Amino acid sequence: MNHFAVFFKKELKESVKTYKLLLLGIVFLILGIMNPLVAKLTPDLLASFLPEGMSITIPEPSSLDSWAQFFKNIQQMGLIVVLLVFSGVLTNELSRGTLVLLLTKGLPRQTVILAKYAAMLVLWTMSVAISHVVTWVYTVYLFPDNLSQNLFFATFCLWFFGALLLAVLLLGGTLVSSSYGSLLVTGGLVVLLNLLNLFSALKEYNPLALATKNMDVVSGAVAVSELYPQIGITVALILATLGLTVLLFRRKLV
Amino acid sequence: METLREYWPFLVPLIIAQLTLAITAFVHVIRHPSYRFGNKVFWIPVVLFISIIGPVVYFVFGRGDAE
Repeated sequence: MNHFAVFFKKELKESVKTYKLLLLGIVFLILGIMNPLVAKLTPDLLASFLPEGMSITIPEPSSLDSWAQFFKNIQQMGLIVVLLVFSGVLTNELSRGTLVLLLTKGLPRQTVILAKYAAMLVLWTMSVAISHVVTWVYTVYLFPDNLSQNLFFATFCLWFFGALLLAVLLLGGTLVSSSYGSLLVTGGLVVLLNLLNLFSALKEYNPLALATKNMDVVSGAVAVSELYPQIGITVALILATLGLTVLLFRRKLV
Repeated sequence: METLREYWPFLVPLIIAQLTLAITAFVHVIRHPSYRFGNKVFWIPVVLFISIIGPVVYFVFGRGDAE
């Protein structure tokens, strides 16, 4: 456990030194500010593009539009930035040889994997939290309606999906030893999940729902309990991925 | 002008955040002149003029390994 604490601290310090913390913090802050703003301005923008004399009725934006922007942006821009920032998580240190020193000095290999995953989770949680809080504050300020519900749970689902992708990114790093390779493995998983979604029998258990059903949860179209199976599957997948990563990393020649 | 006054609670933090990102990246480009690819002339406009994406790409792909 002592090894874990030391290595975990080193990981966190490194994320400050390599600007990961700053990058994620600012990008997610910007996303958080943009969401309600875009929701508010979209009708005005649409209206200004219309030719003179023409008019369409655009519904007044509500807090739902703001949160729709939030989930869309975190899922596309946010997740991509997070994965890019962490793409070299294992491979950079392996290729530079700095990890070999620590391993030969007796640092257990599973500690490396688990501490790295924990550090990634901390940064990912921070990023999502920043964006969620900022979006929430501005949404309440701009759209003081009570249309959005279960916001915390909806964001938690997206966070969980991100946690799965980060575990797979780590697995990719152990498998292919290059940062582009681990990104490719993670991208492959997303494609696979999308393909699986074509089979309606599997839909109920597909973790992808955690990243796509968020707005239905917020608007109340999908009950919170309907997503429990997917959360269970995702927990199992994360644990399995971490277990596999530890096994592979133990056998890996560094 | 009216819109500007209405949206300053958004625009001010937005601009501060983007400037912080751009300036941090700019200072890093100047002070660490070894890059994985590209050169100073290439990275300075990238981090200053491509908002958000520019600095992210620099720190993820362009930054050299030297501390």
